[in-house]
Amino acid sequence: MRRPAGFLRLVLVLALPVVAGGCATVHPWDRDLLAEKRMSLNPSPMLHAIDEHIYFSKEASMGGQDVSGGGCGCN
Amino acid sequence: MGRALVRVEDYFAGRFEAMAGPCVVLIDGDDRAEAAALVETAAGEALRVERKFSRYRTDNLVHAINHAAGRPVEVDAETANLLDYAATCWEISGGLFDITSGVLRRVWSFDGSSRVPSQEAIEECRGHVGWERVTWRERTLTMPAGMEIDLGGLGKEYAVDRAAALIAARTSTPFLVNFGGDVFAAGPRRGGRTWAVGIDDPERTGEAALYRLDVARAGLATSGDARRFVTRYGRRLGHILDPRTGWPVAGAPRSVTVVAPTCLEAGTIATLACLQGPGARDFLKEQKVQFWVF
Amino acid sequence: MQLDAAEPEATGPGPAQPASSPSALRERLSTAALALLLVPAAAGAETATNQIDFSTLYYGEQDRTQVFEPIVRATRLFGDGQAISAQLGLDVITGSSPSGALPSGTVQTMTTPSGRLVTVPAGQIPLTKFEDHRAGLDVDWRKPWGSLVTTTVGGHASREKDYQSLGVNAKVSADFDQHLFTVSAGGAFNDDSVFPVGGTPIGLSDGSEVTKGSNSKRVKSVLFGISHVMTRRWIVSVDGTRTYENGYLTEPYKVISVVSPFNGLPVYTLTDNRPSSRTRSSALLSSVYHLANDILCTSYRYYTDTWDVRSNTFDVKYRHDLAEGWYLEPHVRYYRQTAASFYTIGLSTILRPPEYATADYRLGRLTTLTLGANLGFRIGDRPSQWTLRAEYIRQKGDTAGGDQNGVQSHFDLTPTINTFTAVLGYSFNF
Repeated sequence: MRRPAGFLRLVLVLALPVVAGGCATVHPWDRDLLAEKRMSLNPSPMLHAIDEHIYFSKEASMGGQDVSGGGCGCN
Repeated sequence: MGRALVRVEDYFAGRFEAMAGPCVVLIDGDDRAEAAALVETAAGEALRVERKFSRYRTDNLVHAINHAAGRPVEVDAETANLLDYAATCWEISGGLFDITSGVLRRVWSFDGSSRVPSQEAIEECRGHVGWERVTWRERTLTMPAGMEIDLGGLGKEYAVDRAAALIAARTSTPFLVNFGGDVFAAGPRRGGRTWAVGIDDPERTGEAALYRLDVARAGLATSGDARRFVTRYGRRLGHILDPRTGWPVAGAPRSVTVVAPTCLEAGTIATLACLQGPGARDFLKEQKVQFWVF
Repeated sequence: MQLDAAEPEATGPGPAQPASSPSALRERLSTAALALLLVPAAAGAETATNQIDFSTLYYGEQDRTQVFEPIVRATRLFGDGQAISAQLGLDVITGSSPSGALPSGTVQTMTTPSGRLVTVPAGQIPLTKFEDHRAGLDVDWRKPWGSLVTTTVGGHASREKDYQSLGVNAKVSADFDQHLFTVSAGGAFNDDSVFPVGGTPIGLSDGSEVTKGSNSKRVKSVLFGISHVMTRRWIVSVDGTRTYENGYLTEPYKVISVVSPFNGLPVYTLTDNRPSSRTRSSALLSSVYHLANDILCTSYRYYTDTWDVRSNTFDVKYRHDLAEGWYLEPHVRYYRQTAASFYTIGLSTILRPPEYATADYRLGRLTTLTLGANLGFRIGDRPSQWTLRAEYIRQKGDTAGGDQNGVQSHFDLTPTINTFTAVLGYSFNF
């Protein structure tokens, strides 16, 4: 059985560069590139859901990005 | 969220966040419930205008227009009037005020450094600038592919005037709307007093305002931003781009503040003044408006 | 009126009231502004837009399972930023999958217990055929509150021959520091029912004794994420999810071979038995970077659970736009997992069976490599978008560590599984 504490430490280590990095502020008028639809963290939700379903039925892992969606009998 | 209504001396100040900045609505009255409702109205209108006309969104009419790839787009009455206004500005400025010049932001990044784009990059981008290339008639806009409209130069002032109109339709209480420095004062205040608006000198942003304007009923707007510039050979180039050359307007003042009957007019005149470069002061004198040039 | 005194450049405040006769320019501006500002708000109100997305998946595992899955999604975007959507998906699944039993072919040579394995002509890995249909419905409602907070709530219902899933989920996101940071928190609850065809076999039994009725499986998930705009071109995010599963978590159709240690031949099979609880955790780090014209998306996910499975997933997508609506996006995904603590190739006739056991290769050590590309294109003049994605997925297992019950395999139990998938998508707005 895995200790959850070790996992939490990993999440914090991964979160550190995300939260702390990028000290320069990005002004509102410099958000042009970020506003493009293809710059989204999840640009094709339907394809993403299809992939989640495929890999859920072929592998032992699940999840990562969202908690919506349901279960199936494929694993 | 992030909204607050506080009582300051004898009026209410409602704060909220919209159009990428802090907004405040002052209500010269004693009814808290009414003040809260009026602030809500102003905030709702600010968000509506932002959602509808922001070029940073991917789900509004402006996005559809900017990605129409040469196809004609029919617009609603409000957008049509805004485009008519922009077309008028283009005409009276001799082509300097041009809402299609937004694409130039792709080559210019005003971060205070001395990175200026190459002439080829500017020329390439300028190929997509020019309201004369746009067909605008009968509520239908047809733009060649690669061109974009940017209503950022009008959006905030327009939102101020609209929010003010909505509040005025609901009450006769004196009020003042301030969206990030673009103001409309609907006074006079009770007892015949005026609103006191501080004019900020960009060189000394953060210190106490240098000038004070006492105004009963007027719009006030500022063009220019001290934080957005590029340096070349030690000279500071402002961020207002001349659509005819693709370069920042040479010799433009750092900041211009104008008083006019509406916030929209004040903002337009301020922008037109900046576009005149060294002739800003003369231009403003000709318009016979109250102004500050920094 | 003296207007020279109106130049402040450090010379004092401007004059009193403006002159009463405005210039010609101001007259024109004033007229235009009046026309604009007099348009009543109702006329300027935003109308709602609608969006329809179609996707059809074809999935084919070489010599094994085939899936055909059409999906349709309808979204209504309101003027105030709210959105409601409903999605209906159908799955048609046919084919066969490994039962977990060992092949029984003739053994020609054998190794001594301490020697190396010798490959013998392999018999076929036993497969079970199946056919199933699945229908699923997902609905969700997104609502912005002011300009900084968004909430989303959703529901899910799906049903197939032997499985039903009902769930609800909710998420709230808030922006901080001028929309530079977005913090999200969410949760989901799923109430699933498993009712295997022919009844539920008792775990680690010969499968003859079954209980009728359905088994419950409850899944609770929580998610926490932070995304950060690092530079004008780069956005990064970290997401952590934790899922708690309780109830019937066994695969009712899978079996494990019980092998005689004397001749290495499978003698009989026992049904799978897995623990009735599983806590799963994942940490995902993603990055989206805007190059001059192209977009690079990379992500890394670490996963671990209380069944001792640990996995690492690396995903890279590179999107190159050719023209408006036309783009090519190659994709690579590499995945590697360790075996569950109770994964075993088989059980031994002379040893007592452990409490939990499975020979399902999907809980063993395996590596998956995906190579594919997504093509976006437009047909005709209408404002719609087509996408075609083709991917090749190659999965290779490894029975290392699966011989803890003293069973060695003389066959290649984990041949490479090749899968080909294609997704055709079509979206349009009206």
